Amino acid sequence: MRAVLLRLAAKLAAGLAMVLTVATFTFFLVHALPGNPGDAAYEAYVLGGMPPETARAKVAVIYGFTSHEPLTDQYLGYLGQLARGNLGVSISYSGVPVSDVIRAAVPWTVLPVLSGLVVSFLVGCTAGVIAAVRRNSRTGGLLSLSGSLMAGVPSFVLALLLAFLFHTLWNVLPYGDTSDVTIAPGFTPDYVGSVATHAVLPVATYALLSYGGWLLTMKSSVASVLGDDFILAAELRGIAPATRMRYIGRNAVLPLFTTLALSIGHMFAGSVLIEDVFDYPGLGNLLLKSIGSRDYPLMGGAFLLITVTIVLANIVAEMLYSVIDPRVRR
Amino acid sequence: MRNARRAALPLAAALLLSGTAACSSSASSSDSAGGGVFTTIDGNHPISAGAPMNPFNAAGNTFLGYDTMQLGFTKKNPQDPNDFFPGLARSWKTTDTSITVELEPGAKWSDGKPVTVDDVKASMAIALTQGAATVGAGVLTQGLDVAEIKETAPHTIEISQVPGAKNIQFPRLVLTQKIVPASVYGSMLPADVWDVVHASQSADPGQADAAKAAVDKLNEIGKKISAFAPATDVSAGPFVITRINPGSAVLDRNPHFFAADRIGPKQVVVRNYTGNEQIWNYMTNGELDAAPFTAIPDNVLQRILKAGNQRVDAINYVDAAIAFNQSVAPFDKVEVRRALAHVIDRAAVTKVGQPVGGAASKATTGLIDKVAEKWLTPEQQAALDPYPHDETKAAALLQQAGLTKKDGAWYLPDGTPWTITLQTVNGFSDWIAGGTVLANQLTAFGIPTKTALTADFSTYKKEMADGKYPVGFWLTALGPGTDAAFQRLYGADNGFTAIGAAVTHKTGKGSGNWLNTPTSFTLDGATVDPGELTARLTLLKPDQQKDIVQQLARLTNQQVPVVQIWDYTNVQFVNDKRFTNFPKAGQDGLLSNSPGVWMMQGYVQPKSKK
Repeated sequence: MRAVLLRLAAKLAAGLAMVLTVATFTFFLVHALPGNPGDAAYEAYVLGGMPPETARAKVAVIYGFTSHEPLTDQYLGYLGQLARGNLGVSISYSGVPVSDVIRAAVPWTVLPVLSGLVVSFLVGCTAGVIAAVRRNSRTGGLLSLSGSLMAGVPSFVLALLLAFLFHTLWNVLPYGDTSDVTIAPGFTPDYVGSVATHAVLPVATYALLSYGGWLLTMKSSVASVLGDDFILAAELRGIAPATRMRYIGRNAVLPLFTTLALSIGHMFAGSVLIEDVFDYPGLGNLLLKSIGSRDYPLMGGAFLLITVTIVLANIVAEMLYSVIDPRVRR
Repeated sequence: MRNARRAALPLAAALLLSGTAACSSSASSSDSAGGGVFTTIDGNHPISAGAPMNPFNAAGNTFLGYDTMQLGFTKKNPQDPNDFFPGLARSWKTTDTSITVELEPGAKWSDGKPVTVDDVKASMAIALTQGAATVGAGVLTQGLDVAEIKETAPHTIEISQVPGAKNIQFPRLVLTQKIVPASVYGSMLPADVWDVVHASQSADPGQADAAKAAVDKLNEIGKKISAFAPATDVSAGPFVITRINPGSAVLDRNPHFFAADRIGPKQVVVRNYTGNEQIWNYMTNGELDAAPFTAIPDNVLQRILKAGNQRVDAINYVDAAIAFNQSVAPFDKVEVRRALAHVIDRAAVTKVGQPVGGAASKATTGLIDKVAEKWLTPEQQAALDPYPHDETKAAALLQQAGLTKKDGAWYLPDGTPWTITLQTVNGFSDWIAGGTVLANQLTAFGIPTKTALTADFSTYKKEMADGKYPVGFWLTALGPGTDAAFQRLYGADNGFTAIGAAVTHKTGKGSGNWLNTPTSFTLDGATVDPGELTARLTLLKPDQQKDIVQQLARLTNQQVPVVQIWDYTNVQFVNDKRFTNFPKAGQDGLLSNSPGVWMMQGYVQPKSKK
């Protein structure tokens, strides 16, 4: 137990260093972007019909939220705030804490990303086992082909295709928003059903996008395990096929856990395009909006959250892997 | 142009979806609600997850004309900046220094409390914390320089301008402020807020430091008000927010609204959008009862019309132009700019860049054509050079400027080949499409031209201000006021800053001056300064502006600081499956407002009522 805790502490320390590095990189990167929130806001006001003088004056107030200190001082201030768990105040949302803005968006990224990941992992791994065991049959061939196809489709193409088919053409699934706004939120069948139907298209996109990867990796892993001596021994000893399959599955799925953790980060990053296509108001959409308005604190907060998620997912996966596979603990 | 910017993914979606959309079925939440739910999109205002229900928050979830009220709603009349639809003000009278407003006597908030003078007074104080005071600090000029508000009769208030101030926009600024309940927002204002306001408005040079301190204090209050998140929406408008999802808001009819009997829909759903494609998709599925203006390709238009939507056109006070940095040769020569105006076939560029909602500009004047027609006499219009597509004239002008043509290509006076890079912005689909045609035209004329994309508009603005682009697309003629329109040419982008009639001019790095137009010209034998003329427009009543407008239009036509390519048209859509009695094409004033304002005028009634 002590060894596990020590390992966890080491991983957390490494994760913290990683987060700090990414936070530093992100801070300087977003500040290096040309343009500034004031210019973006001014232009938006003028294009919205506001007289230039009034727009300039309004921007002057917004600028009040932006530090004019030297960049290094801003950076040190940022780190200090971060240490206190303060992500700062949004510029485009006029002084609303970044944490409040992010908190409102996060569930609508976590829900579809994790649902999509779980669905694709279960379906992809199962299909991968079948494709490996029946690799010489038509079923195996078709499954492998489906995996190769899905692994090669760009995310926005798939998202546009699903949106077109299921919303525009057949109009069987809703598009945009997280639920029907006329239904009061609560743990009621109507609301839960509405949230579920609104999440179908983004979840399906995430699931289909990663399904191919799981299938092909699992197929390869199973094929490798099938040739191991212990499987041959089990076969010779007359162990039931179902039990043998359990051995195969458990051994073949081990390498996929590391990929699973990495996939979380990959899918979070992919949320930017997918949420934009479906107008699904999660973290990806928020990030796009914050970049457009050069909302530095919000951009930094959103990037940081994605980083922390990836780092944590990796730590959890590694710890879990060491529990599942005792060989790693040696 | 935000509409064009939003058209990157949209274009891909449109290509994918075109041609098959006629097969789409249509159903919507409105149907299930029996026609009482009006579904739309606020084009100026996507839903912002996490933002408060506060109209003073830059991304706040409130909706002008529905739950957010003003004293009046502008008709965007180019000849009268103070032409308004009544809002919480039933009527108003203006003098040179004040406006007297008769509040709607039956106006109530959605909690049943009456709208009072205190509400207006608190709202004006809040407005002064939102930046409007900053401009006027120590100098009595263009800000919302409200000095006093007093009740002169029941429901009647006189709002006075700071003594000595002269601002033709004063009534408009007063009437367009958002009016909020003092019972909700008043506690954030210190008791001495009007003393602070008065201190900020002092013109006494001896009080300059105190004025600055007062402005800082107002801005600090302004920040707190901006971030304020009321627990519920208290509205004096026809609707009140019941619920906000991360991607849509539902507003129910306000039973206390003073003209509730005129309001047709029982509920309004405002949906989010992140780009044009979402708006088009909703329209294709018949899910929107009214849709705001979006830049739109022709194939998408056909798809939208096939789905039963009707197009409603109105005036749009924006023009797309090619702007020159006149500090870069050869664009410093007026003959060169005129020659390019002759080379460009504006009709051909418009046909590709704005096939649905654009009209090729008749002549470069700094105004859109419909506004120019109102301000210039037929003789004055006839005297303008329309710069028709004429390559012979263009060649003659270039030769006059010292350029030469050899083997079909033009060379600069120093003998180097002349090439042009035309800058556009990633995602501005109409600029990119029009720019390609334009580049082809110039290349065919002998000036090899390529288009270049900037990553986004913020970068474009920054790099343009740094003088990085010799030639690029630009939006001009942002009206309806002539002062706002000419500011685009002879304002900050040209280094001019106006404090009242006093104009200063900056040039060089860091000045933001990228047009680099000279500051004086000879017009009819007299020397004129376009920056100074433009600044004077803000101080003059429309009937006093004519001479200056005519001078600036002629000057712009002669000097061609930009070549105006097309005037945008405000193309909106309505769908009469569930509601009827929408405003018609040409009702420009009405169509410049949100459907909430249409409803206040008695428009938009459920079909079932008919």
